[in-house]
Amino acid sequence: MPSAGIETGAARPAQSYWNESWERLRANRIGVAAGILIVVLAAIAIAAPLFSALLTHYQPEAINLDETFAKPGLKHLLGSDEIGRDTLTRLIFGARVSLGVAFLTVLLSTTVGTTVGMLAGYYGGWLDDILMRFVDMVLSIPAIFLFILMSILFRPNPVTLAMIVASVGWGAVARLVRGEVLSVKERDFILATRSIGASDARMMLRHLLPNVLPVLIVAASLGVGQIILVEAALDFLGLGIQPPTPSWGNMLTNSQSYFFRSGFLVAFPGIAIFITVLASNLFGNAVRDAFDPRLKSH
Amino acid sequence: MLAKYVARRFFASVVVVLGVTLITLVLMSSTRGSYVPGIDLNPALRPEDIARLRAGLGLDEPFYQWYGTWLWAVLHGDFGRSMIDGSPVIAHILERLPNTLELTATAIVIGVLISVPVGIIGALRRGSKVDHSLTVVSVAGFAVPQFWMGLMLILIFSVTLEQHGLPWLPSSGAFSAFNGGDLLDRIAHLILPATVLSFFYLSVWSRFIRSSMLEVLSQDYIRTARAKGMSERRVVYLHGLRNALIPLVTLIGLELPGLVSGGLVVEVVFGWPGIGKLAFERALQYDYSTVLGVTFFATLLVIAGNLLADLLYGVLDPRIRYG
Repeated sequence: MPSAGIETGAARPAQSYWNESWERLRANRIGVAAGILIVVLAAIAIAAPLFSALLTHYQPEAINLDETFAKPGLKHLLGSDEIGRDTLTRLIFGARVSLGVAFLTVLLSTTVGTTVGMLAGYYGGWLDDILMRFVDMVLSIPAIFLFILMSILFRPNPVTLAMIVASVGWGAVARLVRGEVLSVKERDFILATRSIGASDARMMLRHLLPNVLPVLIVAASLGVGQIILVEAALDFLGLGIQPPTPSWGNMLTNSQSYFFRSGFLVAFPGIAIFITVLASNLFGNAVRDAFDPRLKSH
Repeated sequence: MLAKYVARRFFASVVVVLGVTLITLVLMSSTRGSYVPGIDLNPALRPEDIARLRAGLGLDEPFYQWYGTWLWAVLHGDFGRSMIDGSPVIAHILERLPNTLELTATAIVIGVLISVPVGIIGALRRGSKVDHSLTVVSVAGFAVPQFWMGLMLILIFSVTLEQHGLPWLPSSGAFSAFNGGDLLDRIAHLILPATVLSFFYLSVWSRFIRSSMLEVLSQDYIRTARAKGMSERRVVYLHGLRNALIPLVTLIGLELPGLVSGGLVVEVVFGWPGIGKLAFERALQYDYSTVLGVTFFATLLVIAGNLLADLLYGVLDPRIRYG
């Protein structure tokens, strides 16, 4: 029915893939709410000193032995810990660690994974074999052992911690990108581009990368929540950010010793992790549904 | 065809195992200088004693020589001795393995028993209130930190119940130190850690079964079955469920490595004397031979799990061919 096609074409102008995806994302109310929550959390993390000066009036590492195990109240909004440090202040500063490490990890693992996957998929042959066998190895080591060994080796700070977590994460990205490149490579426009003499670098950066980008965006936004969980677990085990610097994970490390004194000390950091991961996952799902409708779950 | 496929996978696996142990050892040997922290500072030890200790543990050899020795021994079934207490590594692993198996197997069984019906209900009543609330539970399950869920369960079911003089659940270990060890005692110790572990499996698998079931129910052969007047019950359980469960086999196969690593955090929180806790404690003490042994063992499980899942997949779904 050619006429129907023309009519709909006139009523709804052709949109680019990116415009359409953006519209789909904006129409997803849960996704938008989760995205806004993450932006708010990130803003709180960045402005943490401002909050401690104006709202809580405590420093995250300030000890006050007269006010240990305070219950939540006017003086300490969310209570205080075993040496009288204000829980809310520590949570706000802890957000810097959780979100900072998560974003840095995603950035690192996507960059490395894309480079490796692109090279392996584009050149193929022995390079592909070597790179992909290496990816197999990285993904076969139980990740937690690698994390333990590396945190013993490098004294973890936020940057090394991100590198440690990314040292496993890039493998999955590389596999994903390689798969996409292999399928895009077979399309006619690549043959056409090659026949007019485009260089390898131009092929990869100008023609393959934009086609891989949707999968990358989806993988990156789905990864954030998992990384926050992994980072918190490492902090909890004492393998991540070291006290006295507060992080949501290491605030829970000693909480087991204080169960009988204050249950709040256990509850609040976990709730902070839970809400952040939940928002990241919901946002990630919305991004997946918007950018890659093929993958949409029922 | 199948034999060739298995053989090729086997050789690829050998390369992977060698690579994994090499990476592990390179990482560990980089930390080698600090083995037994403070050994250089102990005034009771003369420099030649320290040198003798180090040489006895092979710490002065270059790592490739150490690796060669270790590999040769492993090929002969000898995983060496722990650098901390001198007992055979394999004995440590075999001592802890039953505890880990007990915990993980319980969690997997609970996970399957709950997630299969939950997934089916979600698919059959898609969009209903029941479906939505099940989705919420599963989405929450993805976002809860396992170690925190463990801490909260201990806080509620051990600490708070005990404070109020009510019967409470044990929060640490696999059995009581005194007068413990009978079946009831072990089950009581198992409840909390198994709940945490199975909650995670549950939230992953129930989603998976739900979407797998939805996909199967939209297939032509389901429509054919309905069209020839088969009862809805038979359609769902005979044709639908059988095919929807195939992917679950893969998922469970992929959980095999979780026997060692997946439960590590849970084992640490609950003081569960399993393999994950062993590896964690020994890594902090720079006990290379034990960590290397456990890593080797865990990697074998990863590879075996992947292979097993692939093969079972082929048995359950004859459309799949191994090329």
